[in-house]
Amino acid sequence: MRFADFSALLAHWADQSPDAPALMYDQNGTKKVCSFSELDRRVRFRADVLKSERKQTLGILCDGSFDCVVEIFASVLSGRRTVLLSENAPDAALAEMVREAELDALWGDSELRADLAPYLSGSAEGGENQILFFTSGTTNRAKAVVLTDASLTASAYNGAALLPLSPSDTLLCMLPLDHVFGFVCGLLWGLSCGACVALSRGARHYGDDCVYFRPTALSAVPALLGFLLKYRALNPELKTLLLGGSGCPEPILRAAKTTDARVCFGYGLTETSSGVALSLGEGDPYAMTVCPDDAITIAPDGEVLIEAPTCMMQGYWRHPEDTEAALRDGVLHTVDLGYLDENGKLHLSGRKKEILVLSDGTKLFLPEYEQALSAALGGEALCVLLIDDQPILVLEGEMRETAPIWEKIRPVLDERARNQQIRKIEFYEKPLPRTASGKIMRWAIQREREGL
Amino acid sequence: MTRREEILNKTKEIIVESLPELEGQEFDESTVINTDTGIDSMGFTLIICRLEAAFDVRIPNRQWQKLSTLGDVVSAIEKRMPNK
Repeated sequence: MRFADFSALLAHWADQSPDAPALMYDQNGTKKVCSFSELDRRVRFRADVLKSERKQTLGILCDGSFDCVVEIFASVLSGRRTVLLSENAPDAALAEMVREAELDALWGDSELRADLAPYLSGSAEGGENQILFFTSGTTNRAKAVVLTDASLTASAYNGAALLPLSPSDTLLCMLPLDHVFGFVCGLLWGLSCGACVALSRGARHYGDDCVYFRPTALSAVPALLGFLLKYRALNPELKTLLLGGSGCPEPILRAAKTTDARVCFGYGLTETSSGVALSLGEGDPYAMTVCPDDAITIAPDGEVLIEAPTCMMQGYWRHPEDTEAALRDGVLHTVDLGYLDENGKLHLSGRKKEILVLSDGTKLFLPEYEQALSAALGGEALCVLLIDDQPILVLEGEMRETAPIWEKIRPVLDERARNQQIRKIEFYEKPLPRTASGKIMRWAIQREREGL
Repeated sequence: MTRREEILNKTKEIIVESLPELEGQEFDESTVINTDTGIDSMGFTLIICRLEAAFDVRIPNRQWQKLSTLGDVVSAIEKRMPNK
């Protein structure tokens, strides 16, 4: 069903199925259920409180809890600009996000709020219905994408139109809510279909949450699914597995298909409020049907271009030049490469720009990373590749002792999230191949490394 | 054996139990978890959860990011264990 915004979605189900379970969560070892009418009541009560506080922009340090979900909806309904933040982001990155978003209030862990208080500025004017998600975008510097509850709700409709859930379904939300895929496909997808959304107990329970909540549907990034498959942590009731966030390695997809669940694969960006194309569990898992509200074309150089009038971002927060570069006449230039097959299905084939997408969906912008690594090594020629989903450092020159190299690059690595850190050093014993303009041809080294 | 050595030994045991493919690898306090062991972020989560259960401690999620070496992990556990 299509809803105009969060308020309409909550009101509809509170009216139609007041006693049906909207959210399931754990409280001190006991499973709790919140009905649609109770969720609607709590959100509106909290929204009234937030309205009375007369603040403009609320940053929510997302912990995936029941209270966190209520706070997100309430903040939006109260008319505040709402900024979703990862409470697990590195300290410096989080401080930068708080400053960048010009927040005047924070919700979440009290210790963390105290640490971040010096970065509150409150200089931004109100931005009714705006919800900001941070993405690495095309630079390493965190950049916020401005979405709205209307665009996010439309995105949930778009996905549900191809992959509907029923009110008897339970969708397990294991992904972070500060990631648009987690928010739309882990939460809104279920609620917009009147299904129950079970809120994961967090990373400590990744191994047993499926058995605890018995979901019938699950959204996951490949790294998480790989983990769940490896430790046989999926429950037999699971009927639908929606994968997204990054390209899925073939072995994980193969393993997923050995389960009884329908395995679907989604493609989308933060800029399009999540998915724009989905494979539906039949035939080629990488052949994706374009969602009803969206149109995809392929540029002459192979770039995927998206028109998503109902789901498109308003722009990058405080970066109009980046918005103009990415969004031209309503068409998003994705920097992803792909093609449409004879049936109009989308296939992805790579990235146009210098970005690696890791299997947990996070992006690694290579030029800045390589520049920092090279600077730490006194200007050495190098590049970073992704092999088996692990970033490896390739240095020009003959093989040598790596311990001093690790020592020199350690400060650069320590500034980055664990999954972005270099895992291995290799040596390229010839001059690194370069373009006429001197740029290292990373793709050529990657192909050689993979024996292609 | 000091308490720190006991924690280190138990930590090594839990790593190999959790990820049997690491059987036979040498670990010490200076072992860098990402690069020397090949443990990925999901594997790391699993190990930390098992360590928390084994030592009855809780390492805040935000601290996980800062645990670079096995020595860091041992220190984080030791700091949170009750004094004997």
